[in-house]
Amino acid sequence: MKLRIDKAKCVGNARCAAVSEELFPLDEDGYIAVEQIDVPAGKEGLARRGARACPERIIIIEDEGQ
Amino acid sequence: MTGAATLSPAVPKPAHVPDAAVYDFDMFADPAYVADPHKRVMDLVQNAPRVFWTPRNGGHWMLMSHAAIFNAARDIEAFSSEIVPQSQIKAMVARLPPGTPHIPQPLPINIDPPDHTKYRAPLNRVFSPKAINALKNDIRALANQLLDRVADKGRCEFMTEVAEPLPVQVFLKMLGLPLERQEEYRAIVKDHLSDPDPDPKNVMKKLLHITAIMRDTMLERRENPRDDIISLLWKTEIDGKPTTMDDMENYGVVLFIAGLDTVMNGIGHGVRHLAMDLPLQDQLRQNPQLVAEATEEILRRYTFTVPPRVVGKDMEFEGLQMKKGERAMLFLPAADLDPKEYANSESVDLKRENKVHIAFNAGPHRCLGSHLARVELQIVYEQVLARLPQFRLDPEHPPTFHCGHIIGVDSLHLTWNS
Repeated sequence: MKLRIDKAKCVGNARCAAVSEELFPLDEDGYIAVEQIDVPAGKEGLARRGARACPERIIIIEDEGQ
Repeated sequence: MTGAATLSPAVPKPAHVPDAAVYDFDMFADPAYVADPHKRVMDLVQNAPRVFWTPRNGGHWMLMSHAAIFNAARDIEAFSSEIVPQSQIKAMVARLPPGTPHIPQPLPINIDPPDHTKYRAPLNRVFSPKAINALKNDIRALANQLLDRVADKGRCEFMTEVAEPLPVQVFLKMLGLPLERQEEYRAIVKDHLSDPDPDPKNVMKKLLHITAIMRDTMLERRENPRDDIISLLWKTEIDGKPTTMDDMENYGVVLFIAGLDTVMNGIGHGVRHLAMDLPLQDQLRQNPQLVAEATEEILRRYTFTVPPRVVGKDMEFEGLQMKKGERAMLFLPAADLDPKEYANSESVDLKRENKVHIAFNAGPHRCLGSHLARVELQIVYEQVLARLPQFRLDPEHPPTFHCGHIIGVDSLHLTWNS
């Protein structure tokens, strides 16, 4: 599973990291630090919840994976 | 304030506003709104147009639907935060006689990107989730201390005893302002936010009052830095330049206003809900790990801020003609109760599929203090449930409210068996 993040539009809600800090790393200011996430096997549910938690709706599931 | 029962005079409708888009609502003084704010919000959600123009308070747009507000908050060219345009502010300042004190501006709230980004950057780190998480133990200790003072009494006016002193003390400590002057600071903020007069001269006078009472502390920290936000801001740079006293005063007014009159009202709305929803109290006492979810759902149900915007250009928005310079309110309380976004939006439902709200607004002006607010709300709910037995509203003294850019709780009398 792959996630794409429209990083320039992140406004620092940090709700994704509230679901999983490991999956959604933040920078020192509390904004998302990455533009793409390769979701490790078994973490798909967490990734989906994190993406859905974003009030700005900028975390997009690119590839559902297997 | 609760006394503001007189409606502001209605102004004539501009020609480009169709009759169907007019709805009479005074966001400061509508009697049903002031009596029970979110009940009236729900009524507006069901009965008012999804975007409307009200003739009250000088005449302005009200954006009500989740979709309209979400789009408007993220389109800074269409909906500007520069309530008084920067060009007008510069012209006013240029006309002032030499030696006039600096007129503070609430940056970065009232400025659009790209300048918004420059002024906000130094603040992001001090209010980041990581920085705020480090304060949790102190906040919990303070909450317990305040609750232990009232636990044996069997009743209290919750705003005065807990909801107000908790966030105010946390914030004054973070900023580095003397706690002894707490009441004086609160009185100034109350006065500032309850006065609907948008005349720039009046606003400036009030802002100067705020900077005047912070000046001594700011100057002192420049010489003798401590572990607080004022000291830290002296050490940062804005767009590559060292912070000046003018910058500090700008930050001072925005932090002061935002820090001293927001969270306390969120706490008030949430604790009032808990006092009315005994099954939820029971559920959370048995499962304290659900408090984080409940905090989000209560924020959605009782969203309480109304950020103002100015239409940035002549345009069509949601099928309506809007003209540059017209004022528009992002009525966030209605967005978070929009039934198109949230089924049975009125119910507080921890199992709700979509609890993702915009209580802290959307777009670049997302509430800087949202992480602090969430931690404070969650800790207050956890500790109030842990330290008090089942509590209810005192039927003799129903809660009272005030309305405006903040839907505030003036009094919240609770009772319990001690």
